[in-house]
Amino acid sequence: MNNTIIRFENVTKSYDDGTVVLKNINFELERGKFYTLLGPSGCGKTTILRIIAGFTDASTGDVFFNGKRMNDVPANERQVNTVFQDYALFPHLNVFENVAFGLRIKKVKETEINDRVQEALKFVNLAGYGNREISEMSGGQRQRVAIARAIVNDPEVILLDEPLSALDLKLRTEMQYELRELQQRLGKTFIFVTHDQEEALAMSDEIFVLSNGEIKQSGTPVDIYDEPINRFVADFIGESNIVDGLMIEDYKVRFAGKEFECVDGGMKPNEKIDVVIRPEDLEITTPENGKLIVTVDTQLFRGVHYELSTYDQDGNEWLVHSLKKADVGAEIGLDFDPEAIHVMRLNETEADFDKRLEAYGDEDYE
Amino acid sequence: MKKLSAMSKMYLIFVFAVLYAPIFYLIFYSFNSGGSMNNFESFTLEHYAAVFEDSRLIIILLNTVLVALLSGLIATIIGTLGAIGIVSIKDKKMRNTLLSLNNVLIVSPDVVIGASFLILFTMIGVKLGFASVLVSHVAFSVPIVVLMVLPKLLEMNTSLIDAARDLGATKRDVLMRVILPYISPGIFAGFFMALTYSLDDFAVTFFVTGNGFSTLSVEIYSMARAGISLTINAISGLVFAVTVLIVIGYYFINKRSKSVATGGHR
Repeated sequence: MNNTIIRFENVTKSYDDGTVVLKNINFELERGKFYTLLGPSGCGKTTILRIIAGFTDASTGDVFFNGKRMNDVPANERQVNTVFQDYALFPHLNVFENVAFGLRIKKVKETEINDRVQEALKFVNLAGYGNREISEMSGGQRQRVAIARAIVNDPEVILLDEPLSALDLKLRTEMQYELRELQQRLGKTFIFVTHDQEEALAMSDEIFVLSNGEIKQSGTPVDIYDEPINRFVADFIGESNIVDGLMIEDYKVRFAGKEFECVDGGMKPNEKIDVVIRPEDLEITTPENGKLIVTVDTQLFRGVHYELSTYDQDGNEWLVHSLKKADVGAEIGLDFDPEAIHVMRLNETEADFDKRLEAYGDEDYE
Repeated sequence: MKKLSAMSKMYLIFVFAVLYAPIFYLIFYSFNSGGSMNNFESFTLEHYAAVFEDSRLIIILLNTVLVALLSGLIATIIGTLGAIGIVSIKDKKMRNTLLSLNNVLIVSPDVVIGASFLILFTMIGVKLGFASVLVSHVAFSVPIVVLMVLPKLLEMNTSLIDAARDLGATKRDVLMRVILPYISPGIFAGFFMALTYSLDDFAVTFFVTGNGFSTLSVEIYSMARAGISLTINAISGLVFAVTVLIVIGYYFINKRSKSVATGGHR
């Protein structure tokens, strides 16, 4: 069975003044999954959402919904509902009427409206709030009203445009759990837009990392975190140490003035590459046992761990997340496994990246 | 707020006394049985009775109210749609030009508007009377309504319209269920302003009214020219009372809309 619900084919978007927002976007979204469009502001993620919702037209390319081209279907006839960044609740209507808005437009019977609105409010833990005015609701509650207003219409896809950005940290974490749980209970496709990588990693089945109107990488949170395709993705998702390196041969890489064993391959001999090591993969030891010898510059207590900023002899900065404390100014050794080294080729496309990963990955298991 | 000093208080009282004294002086003598404004003899309501006994005056009063209500209503409809139209124009230059044209009409002297309407009506051969007065009142009320509705429209978040369309609303639904309810305080304010402007308009009406049709302000003017009668005072007192009531009504509508607006943005 074909499980694709939304497909973008060569979609571009540019404005009259010549600014290009989206460059040749292609992707397929499957039914019932939680997708996240992740990227810095101005990367085009909201534009993709608005194209799916029908508020904006694609300049070229096709958008398919359930296999049918829907470029020319107006927003009010699409099987998608949106939760807006500022919630966009109607201030002149109370909570019940806000949620009932879509059903009233469709002229659903009064008793059915009542049942469905109550059910939707119960779903977002707002049962009994129907008669409240919007102005009487807190930020988190408004957020839930906005979600109830979207799910009550039983759409196939729910679009969420940075819906958590206006909430404080604690509430935001809470809502991440709730949203994820809600999506699994409803079994609907969620497309979530955010610039917050933690949100994306915590909630998504699949993440699309965008930059400058292009999809840089797509994959599960674990894939993207462990195998970032380039400097941008590595830097954007989580904290990373990125240094210049040289791929001497397969499974042998040189950086910070030394040669190391690694698990990457498939490049040309002596090719220039970027090396990524995550701060949590670096372990503090004595200078004699360390693969790298660094000097501690600053140390911050982050609650769960200490965050150390250290420098090696070549002046490369190494960020270390450690449960152990170190002395500022002291010389320490850093140890890491070959698996912790992730090698990225410069200017590699996602297709080539996947091909190479497959090629040398197979070799491994022979 | 800091308490006002004695001097400031005195000044305020003085200014308001100067502004309101003539009105209260006039209303005060409307209760005078003496027949003139020289010395107050005793309290009487006979001048008010005279107003209500004079069927011609009552008809003029009804005319005035009818013109005000009708012109207010028509101007509110045209002005509201106009404001929505102006806001929906994307071209900034065009939008500002239209707004400036609207504002010019508000500041241009009544005499100019009245005279130009008189010329227009005589040119195209419209009989001066109820219709001509109504049309000209609508004309000078429309810009006022536009000006009152516009801030509410600009304040409205455009994502509300996106949200409504997202929920399946057609363009008509968006207008009827979202835009109009949202800007209704502005529409009411515009209607009340149009009503008061029409009620006390003299200059424009004076130009475009014809035989057999008159409004209160024009009638009071001609009565005052004919000679002093305390009936004028009585009518003026009544008009003043109605105006105060409208201002109070406007105040309450404004207050309600403010609490809704601030609540929505917290």
